[in-house]
Amino acid sequence: MSDILLSIENLETCFRTPEGTIHAVNGVSMKLEPGETLGIVGESGCGKSVTMLSILGLIPNPPGKVVAGKALYRGQDLLKMKDSEIRHVRCSEIGMVFQDPLTYFNPVLTIGRQVSEPLEVHRSLSHKEALDQTVEMLELVGIPRPKERLNDYPHQFSGGMRQRVMIAMALICSPQILIADEPTTALDVTIQAQIVELVKSLRDRLGMSIIWITHDLSLIAGLAQRMAVMYGGFVIEEAPVEDMYAAPQHPYTLGLLGSLPRLDDVQGRKLVSIEGLPPVLFKKPTSCPFAERCNFRIERCNLENPSLRLVDKCHRVACWVNPETRRENQ
Amino acid sequence: MLTYIIRRLLLLPIILTSVTILIFAMMSLLTPYERASLYVSDIPKQSGALEGIIEKYGLDDPAPVQYWYWLVGRTDPETGEIKGGVLRGNLGWSKTGKGDVAEVIGRRLPATIELALWAGIPMIAIGVWLGVLSAIHHNRLIDQLLRVFSIVGYSIPVFVFGLLVLLIFYARLDWFPPGRLSDWAAQIVQSNNFTSYTRMYTVDALLNGRLDIFWDAFIHLVLPVITLAYLNWAYLLRVTRSSMLDILRQDYMTTARAKGLIENVVIRRHALPNALIPVVTVGALTLIGLLNGVVITETVFNYPGMGSFLSEAALSLDVVSVLGFTLFASFILVAGNLFVDVLYGAIDPRIRLE
Repeated sequence: MSDILLSIENLETCFRTPEGTIHAVNGVSMKLEPGETLGIVGESGCGKSVTMLSILGLIPNPPGKVVAGKALYRGQDLLKMKDSEIRHVRCSEIGMVFQDPLTYFNPVLTIGRQVSEPLEVHRSLSHKEALDQTVEMLELVGIPRPKERLNDYPHQFSGGMRQRVMIAMALICSPQILIADEPTTALDVTIQAQIVELVKSLRDRLGMSIIWITHDLSLIAGLAQRMAVMYGGFVIEEAPVEDMYAAPQHPYTLGLLGSLPRLDDVQGRKLVSIEGLPPVLFKKPTSCPFAERCNFRIERCNLENPSLRLVDKCHRVACWVNPETRRENQ
Repeated sequence: MLTYIIRRLLLLPIILTSVTILIFAMMSLLTPYERASLYVSDIPKQSGALEGIIEKYGLDDPAPVQYWYWLVGRTDPETGEIKGGVLRGNLGWSKTGKGDVAEVIGRRLPATIELALWAGIPMIAIGVWLGVLSAIHHNRLIDQLLRVFSIVGYSIPVFVFGLLVLLIFYARLDWFPPGRLSDWAAQIVQSNNFTSYTRMYTVDALLNGRLDIFWDAFIHLVLPVITLAYLNWAYLLRVTRSSMLDILRQDYMTTARAKGLIENVVIRRHALPNALIPVVTVGALTLIGLLNGVVITETVFNYPGMGSFLSEAALSLDVVSVLGFTLFASFILVAGNLFVDVLYGAIDPRIRLE
């Protein structure tokens, strides 16, 4: 448990826009151990995807820029790497699956070409060898008759099948880490379940670590060991999944979980929604970013931005409010 | 792919029939007398000449009958010989060109093809290249310079730019003359020692091993080529640039980079084929436009191609020539569109496999 595979420290990413600089990620830190699955949860625009794209150097610059922080992969800082070095980390060490399997595939290239491409780049295989491995990989992710489908184009696959192909593409070079950026958001519920099951079985088989980004809390429960909740470009709570569901600490997490229906709910309980909208951060917040929408707000919340503090074994939360107060109000 | 092409080909007869009907309808706007008078040079002296021609060619027959004759030809009641017939390549007599319209077009076409190829190929290649360059350096200095370059090209009228280069490079510097060949070269080309394979002088000169004639033909081409290329570069550059910028914003560009590909491959393999889809239409249609002759450019540079023929014919009210030319141009356009459609299918599987 001691060695850390990926360690992100105080990552900050900004986007320069005509309206001003948007601070999308404001000092995110997280760690990933070998074989571990980490779930990252948060509303749209809270910086989940930007964090992941930042560590792989995939933020389009301009307008985006990583302004501070480190991303240590096996002790090496990904953010300091030259273009040629980081290229060999992408896909080869850290594979990425994206949200919408249609728009993230190139429409004019065949599936065989797109899935086998990383092998030719990172493993220096010939096209034919690469295609053979591609067939195996497609079979592994559950594409029927993979050999015949190599020459098909993305639009000839169904949504679920496309996402399977995308997973095959991300895993083709057997990376150590799989980053899944809302891979099930664009799929319907039954297909979602299939994809989650597929990723679980692949994890058991290939043993990679997974960072699973989602805004679907129910999905994380059965999949991840640990989860981090993000808000306004910060990690505001981080805990093992069981702790998080059993004893959420941050008012935002409470709100998120309160907005979910539960099987053990008292009948007639109203689902709670969080009032207001997530902030657009034109300057780096000096107060708690959630303060405006928080029901437990105290004076200190408007003055200082809390950092993550350990509240329990492995359970960290960024909030000024006394845990007792929060629990009473729950 | 094959079924796609066949489907496109099946549309062809329908389109072509419509084109001929349209052109025939335009011709029918003239009364029988007006049409007959096109063939009689001294109407006041010969009474009854017009009526004779109307009778002879059936110019007062019902429109569908005339259309049929116009299309397939008409058997002369006296000699039993079939005359006319667009389908048989007979487009009528051209007053301007002093010959059959088809024959005149055949005579003028090589010059136009020569100009179109010399201008078209570098135009498309460089235009697309500049557009890509501009897009991948979006908002940097090179992009700004290219945008100025293209806006200037886009907004200068052909005749202004043409006259300007003529003024500088012919009148002032005397480097590149207008026309198609110098007198001495024209004499050699028309002599028996020179075989005309294609009637494109640059090609023929090379085939005959006459570098001096090649050079002469080439320097005559420079100014019209520059004029056409610059004005069309501007357009192609803009189309390529905006299409490329759009593609570079697509999600699958992130995927390509996330796979660890070199930026060069990302652009060449993942962006360019997608970005070229709209460019193909514009590029091919521009090329077809060049093949149909470029009226103003050919007139400015006194270049004896289809365009200058058309303007001569139009100015002397030579209706038959103009309509014959229109028919020819529409055929080229239809064929060109078919070519673009096929090319489209070749580039974009979503169209091919729909």
